[in-house]
Amino acid sequence: MNGHTYEIFLALGVLSPFISFWLLVFFGPKLGKPWAGWCAVILGMGVPLAMASIVLWGWLGEDAASRAMLTEHAFRYHWANLGTVSILVGVKLDSLTVAMYFMVTFIAFWIFFFSIGYMSGHSDEVAGKSKYHRFFAYLSLFAFSMLGLVLSSNLLFLFIFWELVGLCSYLLIGYYFHERVPQYAQMKAFITNRVGDFGFIIGLMLVYFQLGTLDLDDAARIFAEQYAAGTGIFASSFTMFGWSLATIMGVGLFCGAMGKSAQFPLHVWLPDAMAGPTPVSALIHAATMVAAGVYLVARVFRLMTPEALMFVAAIGCITLFLMALIAMVQTDIKKCLAYSTLSQLGYMIFGLGCGAWIAALFHLITHAFFKAMLFLGSGQVIEGCHHEQDMRKMGGLMKKMPVTGITFLVGVLAISGFGIAGTKIGLGGFFSKDEILAVAWVRAFDWDDYSHHEAGAGGHHASVIPPIPAAEDSSNDVFSSEKRIVLVSDQPHGDTHTTSVTPHGLKPSAHGGDAHGRAGIFSQTPTLPKWMFYLALFTAYVTPFYMMRCWWMTFMGKPRDDHVHEHAHESPMMFVPLVVLAIGTFVSSYFLFRDLIADAATQATIAPLVMATDGAIHTTAINAAHSWLIYGVGGAFIVGFAIAIVIYGRGLGMASRIKRIAGPLHTLLENKYYIDDLYHLVWVKGCMAVAHIARFFDTWVVDLIFNTLAKLTERLAAFSGLVLDQHGVDGIYNGMADTAINVGDAMRRSQTGRIRNYVLFAVGGVTIIVVLMLAYWGVASPEQTVAMLAP
Amino acid sequence: MEHIGLTHYLIVAAVLFCCGIFTMATKRNAIGILIGVELVLNSTGINLVAFDRYMGPGRLDGQIVAIFMIVLAAAETALAVGICINVYKNIATVDVDMASQLRG
Repeated sequence: MNGHTYEIFLALGVLSPFISFWLLVFFGPKLGKPWAGWCAVILGMGVPLAMASIVLWGWLGEDAASRAMLTEHAFRYHWANLGTVSILVGVKLDSLTVAMYFMVTFIAFWIFFFSIGYMSGHSDEVAGKSKYHRFFAYLSLFAFSMLGLVLSSNLLFLFIFWELVGLCSYLLIGYYFHERVPQYAQMKAFITNRVGDFGFIIGLMLVYFQLGTLDLDDAARIFAEQYAAGTGIFASSFTMFGWSLATIMGVGLFCGAMGKSAQFPLHVWLPDAMAGPTPVSALIHAATMVAAGVYLVARVFRLMTPEALMFVAAIGCITLFLMALIAMVQTDIKKCLAYSTLSQLGYMIFGLGCGAWIAALFHLITHAFFKAMLFLGSGQVIEGCHHEQDMRKMGGLMKKMPVTGITFLVGVLAISGFGIAGTKIGLGGFFSKDEILAVAWVRAFDWDDYSHHEAGAGGHHASVIPPIPAAEDSSNDVFSSEKRIVLVSDQPHGDTHTTSVTPHGLKPSAHGGDAHGRAGIFSQTPTLPKWMFYLALFTAYVTPFYMMRCWWMTFMGKPRDDHVHEHAHESPMMFVPLVVLAIGTFVSSYFLFRDLIADAATQATIAPLVMATDGAIHTTAINAAHSWLIYGVGGAFIVGFAIAIVIYGRGLGMASRIKRIAGPLHTLLENKYYIDDLYHLVWVKGCMAVAHIARFFDTWVVDLIFNTLAKLTERLAAFSGLVLDQHGVDGIYNGMADTAINVGDAMRRSQTGRIRNYVLFAVGGVTIIVVLMLAYWGVASPEQTVAMLAP
Repeated sequence: MEHIGLTHYLIVAAVLFCCGIFTMATKRNAIGILIGVELVLNSTGINLVAFDRYMGPGRLDGQIVAIFMIVLAAAETALAVGICINVYKNIATVDVDMASQLRG
């Protein structure tokens, strides 16, 4: 494929669910059940999946050189200027995008499909109107936003889609908005995410003001240049909590990820989000949206200073440990899965913080497959068991729901890191988790040897970083072809940009500010605290325990509640996606994604602190660590499973004995370390207290002033109205009118309408006038009269 | 037997005038009132002719004005009868007390 074919296909895949959304908004009620659902499945996800498949197929056919070309020449459109910063709309086209895009569309398609079966069994009427179509409209909008997020080449657009997925999450958690619990859950999710987004905005502003661009690639290049030259963001002497401005930028961007990916202090919303419909939990709160935070960290990895990465690792480590412990005591099947999701997200974030970029993203992808499957399985169980979510009332469902039970077991094995150490046989977590731990081990125990002789920087470091053999030849082609697009024409270091995105990008002859700068940063990366490694290792043993516990309580043993057990059944519409995703778990563990991400690593990160068992750097040390650590981690599932089966194998008796012995510890875990209560006390109650104070002030100060003013105005109005207006102005006019009426009344009496009267008046009048004239002038004699008349 | 002079004419005219006024003031029939008006006009005609005969002999001013007045009285009568007919059309009577819509 050539030109912008990939971009066109990807963009079509984004627009299709958007069209589906508007169709469902306007014509959803007419389509009704189940056609609204099919509209979302076909238009909302079928088309994107088809596009993703075409793109994936094409992309796999490209060699490293042409992939680099495509990434570099990816579509960009100058959209607007924000101050002096030009905003380029475009598609971030590299192997990570392709992998994520395919993963999201594939999983989402089957979850959409599952949703039709799931929703058919649910009442969806509120006040006599069906809201069935709304569910699928929201799902379509989510598909649009999530795919847009994956494609964004620009932090601004990434942020816009970021907020849109947050909105969809809010809407879908509160799908049953007529009930109390989902209402609170959706608010909690949205508000907690706002806290994270606040940090994200700070990070964005720092990128905007200090780096002067919002494009991901440009930002990374400028960041490296500024580091090398000690200018821009590195020239600032501002510090906060001992962090430099550059670190604050990285931490700020990570804060957004903390909200979306529900990392430790902001994790509280995710378990509550399980109040939404189960397909939503599977799609948004397990597979895709929560992974967006990890994706963001992976994308802004190049903007992270060592301190910021250390913060990322610490948060991830705390999250993965604490949440795994809570998962051990959960009795609600969905809550148990939610906490396991939190713990696994913690692994991903921890991996990124350590530098295990490839393993973390690989874990993200395999986790998406099997966690979506686990959630759909739990949805199947809940649906089959009459909306019963308490695992203590389940048990023995294996016979009633064999497909669900087996696929669920596949998920349990995958998340537990099932595999045979020393061979290539394993599932999901087996490949990713021990690699994260191997990197963590090198960072924690074996770091000084590697970091110190990095200090020289310059061309020296190139020898430490083995180039990827396959990329060697093809990369020359890129340089010889000389077809470069310098995105912003007046960039002084256009060269640097071009070289930085080539397959290995660290060729001594071509390295510019980038390689120099990043290698310098790399040399300052401190040793990882040892407790982080131990916690992560310990949690690898906890994970199999709680997952096996969950599976055993649900599917094995004796039925504990006859009513639930009798009702249990499975429906084909719903177990087809389960089987497909189980197969997807196998496939994703072995094929496609690992290679794609490893390929992306060299381009997407400029590779200084990317460590893996293959590719990038420190392969020797990590392989060495990996070769023995694999037995420790790979065997974890045996230990975890064994403990779980011993405790739960014969019902809940032993568990309740342990619960009595553990006492306060169990209570602490059951109450989630009281973090929710603490937040409730500090934020909710605090907010209420502030509200009360504000209300007191309002009532007694503001209201008082305004009421007094109002009273005064009222009095003034009364005075002016009653006294001045009614008696003064009105008095004058009424008086004039009254006078006119009275005069008229008096006058009209003479007009009797009788001619005889008029005649008499006329005669009387004339008589009076004549008499008066005579009296005045006297009576003239006839002679006088004659004289008077004589001519 | 006294010689008949101006005064006698004037007295007759005055009596006639008073009769006319009295008729106008007392009659309720529109035609009667019209007759009263004619009496008043004729008394005026007598005055005009008498004054012409005694105050300005040899001149015909008074007679001419009297003839004019008779013509005018005829015209006025025609007009008044027309009005009477219209009043009758409207209120089905010629009793002027009934035609009092314009009273105040």
